[in-house]
Amino acid sequence: MVAIPTGSTASKGTGGMLADNFRENRSIFVGISLLILLVVFGALTVSGFLSVQNARSILLLAAFLGLAALGQTLVALLGGLDLSIPFVIGSANILLPKLMNNGLPPSLAIILIVLLGIAAGCANGLLSFRLQGQALIMSLGVGFAVQGAAEIYTSLNSAFGGTSFAPVPKWLTNLAAFNGKTFGLPIPPVVVIWLVLTVTLIWVMRNTWFGRGVYALGGSRIAAARLRISELRTWVTVHGISGGMAALTGVLLLGFSGGGFVGVGDPYLFSTVAAVVIGGTSLLGGSGGYGATVLGALVLTVLTSLLVGFGLGYAGQQAVIGLIIVPMVAIYARIPQIRNQI
Amino acid sequence: MNRAANRRVLAHYGYLAVPLGLFIVLTILAAMRSPNLFTGTGLAGAVIVAAPLILCTLALTPIVMVGRGSVDLSIGPLMGFVNVTLVAWLTQGGFTHPLAIFAWAMGLGAAFQLLQALVILYVRVAPIIVSLSSYLVLTGVNLLIMPRAGGLAPDWMMAWGAGRSLLSPVTFVVIAALLLWAVFWRSTLHGHVRLTGADERMAYTSGVATEKVRIGAHLLGGVFAGLAAVCYTGLIASGDPTQGANYTLQAVTALVLGGASLSGGRGGAVGSVLGALNMFLVANLLATFHFEMISGAATKLAFGLILVVSLLANALTANRMSTR
Repeated sequence: MVAIPTGSTASKGTGGMLADNFRENRSIFVGISLLILLVVFGALTVSGFLSVQNARSILLLAAFLGLAALGQTLVALLGGLDLSIPFVIGSANILLPKLMNNGLPPSLAIILIVLLGIAAGCANGLLSFRLQGQALIMSLGVGFAVQGAAEIYTSLNSAFGGTSFAPVPKWLTNLAAFNGKTFGLPIPPVVVIWLVLTVTLIWVMRNTWFGRGVYALGGSRIAAARLRISELRTWVTVHGISGGMAALTGVLLLGFSGGGFVGVGDPYLFSTVAAVVIGGTSLLGGSGGYGATVLGALVLTVLTSLLVGFGLGYAGQQAVIGLIIVPMVAIYARIPQIRNQI
Repeated sequence: MNRAANRRVLAHYGYLAVPLGLFIVLTILAAMRSPNLFTGTGLAGAVIVAAPLILCTLALTPIVMVGRGSVDLSIGPLMGFVNVTLVAWLTQGGFTHPLAIFAWAMGLGAAFQLLQALVILYVRVAPIIVSLSSYLVLTGVNLLIMPRAGGLAPDWMMAWGAGRSLLSPVTFVVIAALLLWAVFWRSTLHGHVRLTGADERMAYTSGVATEKVRIGAHLLGGVFAGLAAVCYTGLIASGDPTQGANYTLQAVTALVLGGASLSGGRGGAVGSVLGALNMFLVANLLATFHFEMISGAATKLAFGLILVVSLLANALTANRMSTR
């Protein structure tokens, strides 16, 4: 799908180039093989696994996960993790009906919510910049605060806490529903949006100062500083993108479900991280990319669908997904032995 | 000489300033808003409600102190795992002798933490990923063992939740846990854990057996997790597979509130206990305001803000320490 640049492309012999190329592409290679393996296995064992219906639902669910995990990937490339994503998703999901009830036109409300998401993300980035060892927990705190505030705001003059309802505009439902159509084609537009964003982001990460800067910072803070890449600006931008994408996912999930529910983002707390690591982006920073996460999201969704086909409930799915994370990470990002770190 | 000694004590324990100050403020506020918290039965109830969180936070402490950013996200589900196995397997199977229960709880907690430590050390995957994976696995397994809350705790535990007297069994379990911490604190392991957490390479080159130290820290955390599960089983007098996530988030918040550094090397029982008590007091205070429908949201907002502020405060005090 795409070569994963590592940011350390300075000096290579031709022999090293091949090896490097393989190493860079290994996660993509492993991801694609795993995906093919799962699909073949599913086709052989679960009846109806290869139906158009199932493919469409897998793509749709993977699109939500992929959009939510976009920011997570960028943050992981810098060596952090953003745990505020599920809380921002839930907040956006209940804020949208509330704002529409207040008389805001849907499109304006959506723009406002995405901007609020970006603001929350930037705040998160600014607060955690000096505390990068603890950024994970900071993002958790920011997430709690954001969701608490959103929930209190939506509960004002309302009989329900944590849920909110408004007539969802038809175009938003079409955007994110199973039977949604893109220009007459039977593919939910969310999937197309996801594809466009994926291509754009991969291009941006490979060809712009910002994209290369993210890899440089993830690889080595000192080297990046020597190149005059602003760590603060990149860190905050990346968190802002993460917040904005989370808010967008929350908005789209409203089109999918039809009613605002504050807990809608909860599964994304760990599934975004799982998609990132299964894809092969190292949480140590500097290596991996969004192409890998797209594969990770697809693998995770296909696997879940397979497990559902086997009659496994939510509990069983969680256990299996948990079990595959450690071996997957062990393939890509083992920490060197302490005696090799000196 | 005396001033130098003072300064050393301050550098060691200065991080306690924030949690201690917060604790005093919260206690005064709680005394004003809900005076009956400070009656005999009020305190007895408080100990019983707060004990699982205190012990969970205590379980996180040695693990986070040993470094590599190893906040054990699976602590809540681990407590839940011990809880549901105690109820669904031991009590159902007729093994209700207190010795059997305590041995099972502490043994299972320690065994699971040993497994995590071995994976961290020999599969060499970042601790946060290992704990994330354990979180998912345990949450799933707990629900498979016990699909919904239910079952009964052993007979001798049934009265624990009532909490009429301050000298309840739960209090003794907490005291025993603190004594165990004191033993750890006096041992060489404590120094080695701090050294490994502060700078693993330096510890290794100075001849500290960092791998054994990490295993030790995890084992200790596992024992505390087991004790937390016993107290939790006493509190709800049954099994509940669903509260894991909740306890993980609360315990991590309490840990940070207690001034421990999530990047390792700094932390202790006093801070963690204070942090857990602060969490309890905040929840208690918020409950006195009768937010009704938005009380859940208000708690979330308050915990979130407290977490953010205390992280910033920790960073500031840490900076002051290092520049001194």
